Amino acid sequence: MARTQALPIQIVTGDPRPIVRQIVDAVRMRIATGELQPGAQLPSVRGLAQQLTINPNTVAKAYAELTTEGWLESRQGLGLYVAPPRQRLSMPERDRRMDEAVQAFVHEVVALDYPTDRAMARLDTALAVLAKKTA
Amino acid sequence: MSDVVIETRDLCKRYGGKLAIDHLDLVLERGSIHAIVGANGAGKSTLFRILLGFLPATSGEAWVLGRDSRQLRPEDRERIGFVNEEHTLPGWMTVAAVTAMQRRQYARWSQPAFDEVIGHYRVQASQKVAQLSRGERAGFNLALSLAQRPELLVLDEPTLGLDVVAKRAFLETLMHSNAAEGCTVIYCSHQMEEIERIADNLIIMERGALRNMSPPDDFRARVVHWVADIPFRGPDARLIPGLLDEQRIDGVYHYLVLDQGDDFADFLRACGARDIHHMPVSLDRAVNGFLARHHAAPVAA
Repeated sequence: MARTQALPIQIVTGDPRPIVRQIVDAVRMRIATGELQPGAQLPSVRGLAQQLTINPNTVAKAYAELTTEGWLESRQGLGLYVAPPRQRLSMPERDRRMDEAVQAFVHEVVALDYPTDRAMARLDTALAVLAKKTA
Repeated sequence: MSDVVIETRDLCKRYGGKLAIDHLDLVLERGSIHAIVGANGAGKSTLFRILLGFLPATSGEAWVLGRDSRQLRPEDRERIGFVNEEHTLPGWMTVAAVTAMQRRQYARWSQPAFDEVIGHYRVQASQKVAQLSRGERAGFNLALSLAQRPELLVLDEPTLGLDVVAKRAFLETLMHSNAAEGCTVIYCSHQMEEIERIADNLIIMERGALRNMSPPDDFRARVVHWVADIPFRGPDARLIPGLLDEQRIDGVYHYLVLDQGDDFADFLRACGARDIHHMPVSLDRAVNGFLARHHAAPVAA
C-alpha cells in the first residue's frame, strides 16, 4: 500500500524566488533525478504546509502548477502522486525552449568571458546529476 | 453569510489638519489571511479603532462582518478576536482563573479549541500569568482568542519580542490548528519574513491611504533591481521613472524601481549606460524599498 513519501525540502524567506517557485523547483528536481519515483505519494497540502510553516494555499498553488505541467497527478480521494514520465510538450516546443536555455547559457559565458572548455565541464557536472536517474 | 468581513467606503479620519485615514476603500474577503503592512502612523491602529466602533470616522463608511461599525452589538463583538503585542493579561491571576473568566464571557467558547492551542505550550493552569514567558503569554492569548471561535481574528504585531522558537510556534498554531480553521485573519506586522510565510493578501498602508492590495508575490514581482555602469554621471534621480532607491556602489549604479518593464534598459542606455543587468528582489526588499522611497538615498563614494 502506498504511503506518503517524505519530502525533505527547505524553503527560505527573504529570497527573490517566491516560495511557490522554490517548492515547484525542488519537487521537479527530485522527480528529474529519480529521488521521487513515479507512483510516490506526496505529502498532503496541509502536511507540507505544516512541515515548512507556511500558508497551505502556497503549497496548493505549487501542487497545482506541478499537476498542470504534468509532473504530478491527482488520484480521486487519495492524494497527489508523481506522474509516470511522459512527454509534456511537443517536440518543436521542447526544441524551442532548449534553444532559449542554451542561448541564455551562452550569453552568460560571453558576459563572464568564461573559458568555453571550463563552461562545458561545469555543464557536464551539472547534467551528470540527471544521468543518475534510474531508467 | 457574506463573503466580505471588512469593508470601508471612502473612509476618512481627520485630526486637525492631518488626515489619519485618507479616503480608504477596502474590501477584505472571508477565509483568507490578510497582512497589513505600514510604517508607524500609517493609520492601522486608527483604522481598527474605527472598524470596531471605538472611534467615529470623520466621513465615509465602515462595516465589519456585515454590520455598520457604529452599530456593533455585544454579539457582534463576540465574533471578533483580538491579539496584540502587549498580550495584556492581569499578571496576578492564574491561567485557570483568566480562562474561567473568558469562558464565562463568550457564549461560543470551545474548550476543545482552547485545549488544542494551549497544548502546544508548556503552560500550567496553576501558573500566574506574570510567571509565563513572553512566548507562553502570546500562546495563551492566542488560545483564549481562538477558543472564542471568532469569525474574524485581528492580530497586531503579536510576535514582537518573541524568540525564534516562540514565533514559529505561534505561526504554526495560527496557520495549522483546527481551532483557527474557518477564521479570517488580519495580521499587522513589519516582519516580512512572517508575512511571506502566512499571507494570502498583502495590504500596504501609507499615511492613511491604501497603496497596495494583492497576493504578496504579485507586489514583489513589481519591484526590480537594476545595475548599470554609467560613465560620468547617472541621470538625475528625479528623472528616473518608478525610482524607489538609488545607490552608487564602487562606481556602479544600483536602481530599485517599481512597475518598470524591460524597456527600463532602454532608458538606462539612453543615459549612457553600458553593461546593464537586472534581478528580482525579495518581498522584504520590495516592501521596504517602497515604504522608504521618499527618504533620501545615501550616495556612496
